[in-house]
Amino acid sequence: MMKKITAMMLMTSLAVSSLAGCGSGSASGENSAAVEVPTEPFGDTIKYDPSVEINDGKDITVELWEWGSDDLFQQAIDGYTAIHPNVTIKLVNNPWEDYWTKLPLALSGENGPAIFNVHNSYHENLINYMAPLEIPLEDLQADFTGVDAHVIDGEVYYIDYGMMTGTVYYNKDMWTAAGLTEADIPKTWDEMREVAKKLTIKDGDKLIQAGLNFNDDFHQNYLLGLNYQLGENLFQEDGKTPNVNSDAMKQVMQMLVDMYEVDGIGSKDFGEKGADSFGQGQSAMVIQWGHYYNTLQTTWSNINFGVFEIPTFDGNPYAYNRYNGESTFGVNKNAPADQQAVAQDFIKYFLANDEIQIAFNLAMSTFPAKKSLAGNEQILANPSLAVLAEHIDHYIWPGSMPSTMETSLKKAGQDIFFNGVDIDTALNEAQENIIRDMQNSTFTSVENLYKYAK
Amino acid sequence: MFKKSHPLQSKSEIILRNIVVIAMVIFFTVFLIIPIGIAFAGSFHEWNPLSGTYNFLGLKNYIDVFSSGLFWTSMLNTLIFSVVVIIFRVGLGLGIAYAIYSSLVKYKSFFRAVYYMPVVTPMVAVAFVWKFMYNPQIGTINQIFGLDINWLMNPKTALLAVMIMTIWKDFGYAVVMYMAGLYSLPTDALEAAKVDGANAWQTFRYITLPLLKPMTLFVVITSIISYIQAYVQILIMTEGGPGTTTYLASYIIYDEAFVKYNFGYASALSFVLFVITAVFTWLSFRVSGSQE
Repeated sequence: MMKKITAMMLMTSLAVSSLAGCGSGSASGENSAAVEVPTEPFGDTIKYDPSVEINDGKDITVELWEWGSDDLFQQAIDGYTAIHPNVTIKLVNNPWEDYWTKLPLALSGENGPAIFNVHNSYHENLINYMAPLEIPLEDLQADFTGVDAHVIDGEVYYIDYGMMTGTVYYNKDMWTAAGLTEADIPKTWDEMREVAKKLTIKDGDKLIQAGLNFNDDFHQNYLLGLNYQLGENLFQEDGKTPNVNSDAMKQVMQMLVDMYEVDGIGSKDFGEKGADSFGQGQSAMVIQWGHYYNTLQTTWSNINFGVFEIPTFDGNPYAYNRYNGESTFGVNKNAPADQQAVAQDFIKYFLANDEIQIAFNLAMSTFPAKKSLAGNEQILANPSLAVLAEHIDHYIWPGSMPSTMETSLKKAGQDIFFNGVDIDTALNEAQENIIRDMQNSTFTSVENLYKYAK
Repeated sequence: MFKKSHPLQSKSEIILRNIVVIAMVIFFTVFLIIPIGIAFAGSFHEWNPLSGTYNFLGLKNYIDVFSSGLFWTSMLNTLIFSVVVIIFRVGLGLGIAYAIYSSLVKYKSFFRAVYYMPVVTPMVAVAFVWKFMYNPQIGTINQIFGLDINWLMNPKTALLAVMIMTIWKDFGYAVVMYMAGLYSLPTDALEAAKVDGANAWQTFRYITLPLLKPMTLFVVITSIISYIQAYVQILIMTEGGPGTTTYLASYIIYDEAFVKYNFGYASALSFVLFVITAVFTWLSFRVSGSQE
């Protein structure tokens, strides 16, 4: 008996230990499928001519580094290498956590990848290692939105292929059970709060089902974006001083506090993370960014959900929300010239190819930055993108904000909700922390490039 | 003279000795001394190795450290965390080791293995499991005790919850250490106490405990060093929250270096922490020495 108990405990320990297992870098590139090879030039303004040889037809191998979605990248690689069989692109996957340490160190040496996936939140760590794109600026501007925000001294190092932002996800079964119909989809925050009340279920004082849950993501999905609805930017006119203790920010924060403490449509102690709580069927509504659409379909496929556009305060906002771009690839300026030439050509192929642009945007649930794809049927078949289509030009990208913008506002919100700090004090402290953290930052906001900027 | 004090048997032994010594010197130089030197130099700079930024700042990083409210909050948290966890680690370790050591207990190896299991389980895994157990809706702790506490997000319970998990994970180390100490006690001293009529408590208080003093000192000092460096449990369970309630000194270093890429400031923090650790270790030796 004792041996059995010991064995069971050892098994349990082993199982727990296995939780600590973490991924490691890996290379792939052997799952090529049959690909149709184009023979004629394709693209809008940026045209790709498949008849032009690369590297004079001589064999060449380059590496492409990324942090996930191997199949998607391989699809692009397969399409390109089918046109240029002399080129081998080795896909190297590093987990997100390792990627941002390994990549800059690799780029600073002689053997770094010629092509690498970029996330604009790491702009400052990467930009010194990047070569400008050789595609003419006016061609990029003609085909893609948001290019101006990426211009540095007349050069562009990467652009956005897609725009990601927040939308409201609601549980259709809970919606129906509460007697709500499509006609009840809220357009304003007041309507949203009323709908959330109907979706909330309590047993006495105990919350059973939250109408709305913003735990753990209120800073990303509410504080850093709803300020725009009230006509205030995240940064002051100099583009460097934060504006997080603004009246708009205080109003948004007060609304969040009131939703939980006055309306009782959720609780800081109910559902540790709003996104998980919705997926686990505990909460009826959440505001999440585009990637959540795919998360729901893969991780919580039993949830019957719908999507609607984020409400506004008065139906006529300065802008609806903040968006962030999914970036195109970067070219390593320290790579050998022949490898850089392949990298430049691959990016041109990537930008000109509508099929790949659609595939990447659907995979990431981002609205295409390529103008000609704004009305594409496949894109609009994705409900999280369809609801953005009408007002997509009313979303603002503030630039590659330093992480302190998120972390400082998260701390401020926690101080308000959990530590009893008043809103003014918490946001003033966040303002001071951000200023201290950004004292050596080169960041400058691009909010002034918003199409409808005041 | 050399041969007299170090009587090596053969030329091959001398070669082996030299190889081992040189390897150790190279190892410590490459992986310890040089990185420490680089970090010390970096503590006087605005330094981000990923972007290549390296600008001399003089003492600014150190001034910023000592003028930061978060630094002092985290130092107080670290002090509370270390003192509480060490007291329970030593107390539980000694008590359970003594109980297992008792002739009344069977299956000594089994109990020793059971108590040591959490020690060899990675902190990351343990922290994730405990985080799940602390979940206010589905966590086993609230369900078993019929409570409704948001353990990790309540400022009154968050640090306590992390401390309980750390004590659970780490006290087995002290059990094993104390058992080694108990088995190496001189039996003649214990038998003499028995002959003199000492009861179990008197034997423990006046014979066993003083003889275990070197082991206690060892456990306390290694615990001080270990807990001043603690950050993994904070990273996984609270991320320093709610607000900055559970920030520990080492977590700020992680946050500054690997979230904000502010390696200069993080290096300055590291050296301040290094000095504090050295002072506490020295104090422990002094206190132990003065009592003898």
